[in-house]
Amino acid sequence: MLAIDRHAWTNRWRRHHPGEHLLLAGGGLVLALTLPPLTAGPLLCLLMAGATVVGAAVPMRAFLGVMALPTGFMLTSAPFLALSLDLRDGLHLSCSPAGATLALEVTLRSLGALSCLAFLALTTPVAELVPWLRRLGVPAAVVEIALLIYRLIFIFAERALAGQQAQAARQGYSTRPRSLKSLGLLIATLFQRALERARRLEVGLAARGYVGELRVLTPERPLSRRRLAGIGGLLLAVALGSVLLDRGLA
Amino acid sequence: MNPVILSARGLEYSYPGGIVALSGLDLEVSRGRKLALLGANGCGKTTLLLHLNGTLKPSRGQVLLDGAGAGYGRQALNVWRNTVGLVLQEPDDQLFSATVEQDVSFGPLNQGLPEAVVRARVAESLETLRIAALAERPTHSLSFGQKKRVAIAGVLAMRPEVLILDEPTAGLDPQGVAHLLSALEQLCLAGTTLVFSTHDVDLAYGWADDVAILGQGLVVCQGEALATLADAERLRAAHLRTPTLLALAVALGFGGGPEDPQPPPRTPAALIARLQSAKAAPTARCPRSPHAFKA
Ligand SMILES: Nc1ncnc2c1ncn2[C@@H]1O[C@H](COP(=O)(O)OP(=O)(O)O)[C@@H](O)[C@H]1O
Ligand SMILES: [Mg+2]
Repeated sequence: MLAIDRHAWTNRWRRHHPGEHLLLAGGGLVLALTLPPLTAGPLLCLLMAGATVVGAAVPMRAFLGVMALPTGFMLTSAPFLALSLDLRDGLHLSCSPAGATLALEVTLRSLGALSCLAFLALTTPVAELVPWLRRLGVPAAVVEIALLIYRLIFIFAERALAGQQAQAARQGYSTRPRSLKSLGLLIATLFQRALERARRLEVGLAARGYVGELRVLTPERPLSRRRLAGIGGLLLAVALGSVLLDRGLA
Repeated sequence: MNPVILSARGLEYSYPGGIVALSGLDLEVSRGRKLALLGANGCGKTTLLLHLNGTLKPSRGQVLLDGAGAGYGRQALNVWRNTVGLVLQEPDDQLFSATVEQDVSFGPLNQGLPEAVVRARVAESLETLRIAALAERPTHSLSFGQKKRVAIAGVLAMRPEVLILDEPTAGLDPQGVAHLLSALEQLCLAGTTLVFSTHDVDLAYGWADDVAILGQGLVVCQGEALATLADAERLRAAHLRTPTLLALAVALGFGGGPEDPQPPPRTPAALIARLQSAKAAPTARCPRSPHAFKA
């Protein structure tokens, strides 16, 4: 989470209009869900990895890191997709070629879709993205809460870590029962602190004229026609390539 | 123009549970000057500051803005908070936005200013506090000192006439303190009235024009920094001490007085200069015994 966030606000494309990133990621998602997955999945992974690593200069390791966990899930569950269970006369567990193809398709489709999200997460700061939700019709209150939570996550994580280290320094985690007790105490304290903090935040906001709306400036980001055209071209190339390759395979 | 821009008369306030925080406090803030509220931990500094911008309402007594009693209705509070800006002690209590620029824009947008003006104000405040380079950084990636300056910039962008800061130097390293003070000095020169709370007698002596000493929910005494801080007895009663530089100056015979018309030096550099010029012309002055001044 923290590593993703760091790349999001330090990558080379962070100052691009978030709409451009949304177009590439969103377009990619649509392609992943509609095109033949055997070819579109890998092509999309390549495109998104290229955009993230070559375009936005995010280290390959970060991209692979984001992809690793869901990929792991997928690879462990794929074999079960390939199996089919037949209960008609007795219990039959079989693996048919059709089942294997299905498992492969699901896996590749998911990986293609995931790579789009990985690209978006690694290249677009939350602060740029969330205001756009508002323009897309999400209610202001929801957007405000999302941004507040985003800000508080970091404060909370910091406090939780510090609290846990302080407890550990005083042997709070030396045995299993003690660990449980310490963790319980920590959570209770953090909850209370969070409430106090919320109260003080309200004072701070009121001092700056808060009257129920957390309005802030959104950064000015010009849309680049050139980049939009480029994104469109790339998506089109993936679509064509995927369809043609798929014909070739069939 | 009223020389007293903000004042408190007979403020009384208790927290739930019967904890008396203010017990009939009087205070006067002079326009265009730097006032230090000096007091030990828990003596009611923060509580007083929260009264000065209308966050807390006294159970008795009143706060006067420009000589007129301040109201607590929505409209009155709006005017009040446009005039009096408050910076909390803990910057994380105040920064809520994802990026620095956004956070600083919050106040001026609430004042209803057009976007172009807000952008200019944001840039200007960041410039004043020398953090323009941080504009696009996420707030959570900043150091404590940087957060503190962003919090101040966020209030500054509203161009308050009185800027109130709760323990502005607490937790900052010496360089951080120096940067902050020079930025605040610049504001003061531009006409902003500054009020800050602290328990640091040396800071109050070196930097404030006026000092109000707080003890047990009261302003024990208020006046020009030098006069107020020369009273060792009163400082001790408020769990404070004499500023180091002042004690030194007095011990060395630079404490002011009939035979030495110059006021005591307020900075280490000034003390050194006095020492050197005394060494060059060792005529009239003989150092008083350190016991002449009870530190
Ligand atoms: N939210 C609160 N609830 C109850 N008591 C409080 C609260 N805040 C402060 N106090 C008490 O009021 C007194 C003054 O506190 P405060 O104004 O924070 O002092 P200072 O800022 O000078 O350290 C202290 O005795 C403190 O314990
Ligand atoms: Mg305090």
